[in-house]
Order: sequence, then C-alpha cells, then structure tokens
Amino acid sequence: MNKEKISSQEIIDLVATKASVSKRAAEEFLKVMIATIEEALFAGEVVKIKNFGTFKLQWNEPRKSVNVQTGEEIILDGYHKITFTPETSLKELVNEPFAHLEPVQLDTDNDFIIQETKEEVLDPLRIFTEQASEIKDLLFEINALSPTAKKKEIEREKIVVRDYFDVEERITDNVEIASLIEQPEMLDEVGADYRESKTAEEDVTPPVQPVIIPEQPEISVQNETFSTPEVVEKEEAYIPEPVEPVVDEETDSVFESTPFLVGVKPKRKRKGWLWIPVAILLLASCVVLYIFYPPVNKFGNKLLSDTKVEIVYVENVSIPGMINSLKKWFRPELKTAPATETVVVPKDTTAEDTVEIQEPVDSIQLMFDNPRVYTEFIASEQIKAGSRLTIMSKKYYGSKDFWVYIYEANKERIQNPDNIEMGTLIRIPKLDPRLIDASNPLCIQKARELHDEYVKKKP
Amino acid sequence: MNHKELIASMAAKMNAPKSVVADLLETTVATCTELLADRKTIGFQSFGNFEVRKKEERLSVHPSTQIRTLIPPKLVVNFKQSNIVKDKLKDIPHHE
Repeated sequence: MNKEKISSQEIIDLVATKASVSKRAAEEFLKVMIATIEEALFAGEVVKIKNFGTFKLQWNEPRKSVNVQTGEEIILDGYHKITFTPETSLKELVNEPFAHLEPVQLDTDNDFIIQETKEEVLDPLRIFTEQASEIKDLLFEINALSPTAKKKEIEREKIVVRDYFDVEERITDNVEIASLIEQPEMLDEVGADYRESKTAEEDVTPPVQPVIIPEQPEISVQNETFSTPEVVEKEEAYIPEPVEPVVDEETDSVFESTPFLVGVKPKRKRKGWLWIPVAILLLASCVVLYIFYPPVNKFGNKLLSDTKVEIVYVENVSIPGMINSLKKWFRPELKTAPATETVVVPKDTTAEDTVEIQEPVDSIQLMFDNPRVYTEFIASEQIKAGSRLTIMSKKYYGSKDFWVYIYEANKERIQNPDNIEMGTLIRIPKLDPRLIDASNPLCIQKARELHDEYVKKKP
Repeated sequence: MNHKELIASMAAKMNAPKSVVADLLETTVATCTELLADRKTIGFQSFGNFEVRKKEERLSVHPSTQIRTLIPPKLVVNFKQSNIVKDKLKDIPHHE
C-alpha cells in the first residue's frame, strides 16, 4: 500500500482523461468546485456530495490551556473548522480490507464459569443421592408416627371436650406444636446436609429424636387426663424446649404468669415465637431448593427427579401441615404424602416431554439439526495471503456468517479455521438456499451458534 | 446545499450546462474514492487533504457490565483543512 500524496494536478489529469475533456476544463471545474463548496460553507451551509460525503463548518469554542514552559494560563481562541463525514458507501469501500472483522467479546470469565458449573453439577449429584435415602427414611418414620399421634390427639380431644374452657384452641395449639417439633427436625437435617454431608453415625441419631419428642405430649396427656388447665400450660411450656433454647426465657416467664392470666394471651405470644424459627428454616430450605433446582432440570436424571419429588413433598407437608393442621389431623384416612407426590411427578415429566416435542416441529429447525452432507460444490478457491473463509462466505453466500458451512465442508483440510495453511484448496459447497437466507434471523442465529461451537473447540 | 444545488451553482459559475457539470463531478468523486480505496492521500491545494487513516484495534470495556470487547482495526477517511482555508475561516465572525 503506497501512501503517496496525490496533488490536485494529478487529480486534474485523471479527471481529464476519464471524462475525456481538456485538462484546462478539468482544472477550471475543480477550482470552481472548491470555490463553490467554500462559499457555501462560509455562508454557514452544509454541502453534500452524492456518494462522497458531507462538508460542514464546525465552531470550536475557545478554551483554556497552560503554557508548558511558563505555566501561565492562556486562552486559545475559538475557530471554525471544516469537517468531512464520509458517506457509508465510501466508508465501506475504504474499510474493505478489514470489513470481515467483527468486534469480539472477550470471554475470559467464561472458562471460569464453565469450571464452576462442572463442579456444581457433580456435587449435587452426590448429595442428592445421599439425601434421597435419608429423606426417605425420615418420611417413613414420620408416616409411622403420624397415625399414633393422630390417635392421641383424638383421645385427647374426647377428653378435653368435656372441659369447660375453650379447649379447642388449645388442641390446635398442641397439634401445631407437635407438627412444629417434627418439622424443624427435618428441616434442620436437610439444611445441615446441604452444608456438610453428615457422617453415618449422625444420620442414625436424628430419626430417634422425632420419636422421643412426640412422646412428651403423650406423657403429658396421661398426666393431664381430667386435670386442670394449668397442667396443660405446663406441658406446653415443656415442649418448645427441645426445639429452641432461645424460647426458654419467654416460655418460663409466661409460665409464671399464666395462673393469673386467661390462658389465651400467652399462647398467642408463644405461637409467634415458634413461628419465627420455623419461618426462617422454611426460607432456608426454599433457598437451598432453588439453588439446586436448575442442575436437576438440566440433567433429567431419574435419581435426581426422584429426590426432587421428595424434597417438594417435604415442603408441601410442612406448609399445609401447619395451616390446615386441624383438618388433616382429624381425618385418619387422609395421607398428604401420596397426594402431593402424584401431583408433582406428572407435572415434571409432562413439562420435559412437551418441550422436547415442540422443538422438531419446525422444518427449518429440522434442517439445522440434521448433519449436513456436502456433495455438490459450486466453486473452489486457493488460500492466499489475506484469504478468509468469511470473505468467501460473503462472496458466495452473501453473508459472512455462513463461513461455518464452508469450514464444515473442508474440515479435514483445515486444522484451525482462524489460520489456514497457504495453498489449501477450499471447496465451496452448494447449500440449500433456505439454510443461507441472510434475511432469515434463524439462519444467522444457527450459523452463529455453529461459529461459537467451532471457535470454542480450538484450544 | 445538496448535490443538485451544488451542481446548479457550479453550472452558473462556469457557464456550462448542468449535465456536463454533473458528469464531471461524478467522475471526480469516482476518482477520489478510487484513490482513497487505494489508501492514497489526496491533497487539494487551498482546500485540504483527504487521507485514509488506520484506527488500530483496541480493547473496550463496557462501563456498567464490564464486558470486554475487542474492537477490530478499521480504515477511515479523514479530512484536514489546509492553512489557507483556516486563515480564510478566521475572518468569519462567530454567530451562535
């Protein structure tokens, strides 16, 4: 590329020969042209020349500056300046050598993200399988417990109904507390497992705890039979203790005050105190679920979906268990577990199925998905200095995005699409016009996807 | 002043038909673009220089998303007015 300067005289010669006019005429024409442009510009007008560009007069404001030697502040006067903005056609023509280049997003963080996701994917797999068995065991125990608990509650109801106090409230309280005691245990375990997988010894102990705790109400029920409401108060004060030591002070004070108060007020308070840790635990479990949900979806592993169902089931049991505790506990035949399970399982499977079915419906999509076979070729080119697949693609297909197909057709000869060896013979394949429709965003998108794939592949 | 107006005023000055002026202007523009495409500098005395400059590739960082993008190099046409025009422009009073 020579950077020599061409004077106006040379331009005059060139124009004269091209337009086949005398040099004098050409010279005059150029002079007039420049003069007219200048005049128009001086008059404050904008001069537009077709296929060339626009001349404008720009006013540069006076500005402050500093004399480098003396450090004195000086003011540079404002001045006019002729600016030239080339038209897009000229711009493109001049920039042709670099036209095939595009801004590249540097994804240095991408590698890091990929590594991270790999690790994340592996860990949940292991944790989920471990938890699947643990949660199953837990649920069995809870299920085994619940019928007896129900019986106790029913017995107790019969007993208490005869009492003169508004006992119903108390029963609901008891039921709720009983369920609360069970749930925090479960949730605690789940939460702990997410943080650190427990050892086998620890796993053995928690299932025992739920057995002990519901027994406490049982004992108190026996004590309570036909007794004063104060006993009930006592019993209730004891129950929260294993759950949350924080509650102790409050419950103790409440216990002291109860003889002087009507039984309803302190219970409200206690209820609130119990709900706070339970709510926090629920939230935590929800967050944990949310974190581990996406990888489950991606993998569609049977084991994973099993565990997913169970986790959802745990949550479902806990929430309605608290809200509708009265209704559910007094209906012996009602079992929440199978109901929720049946609801959740089909939902998941159907959702995945429909997604898979919908995709291949599109015919173009099908064409994209089929592996392309290149049998016919419309041309062949030898790689020279400065040759690029994108330029060839633009030449033969009309868009540089479709270079990936040329690459696919010549894969065995090209090691690195960014740096092809000199003299390599590139065959340009004949493509389905629907595939290289530059006006179809789907085609471009597909080509871009392939581009990303091939560019990433190379080390 | 657009293309047509320019041709009209030039034709009036040169005492020549518009079609001739239009042809001449077209060939001039064509030669200029050709030369510029060859990365040559065109100097019109008393007016200025048309020059092709290469903007080197650069790394741009999106201020808010911090996404780093490599901007490829490109060639642009640059016009620099001559000192003669600059002196003439000094005489024009600043309005605005």
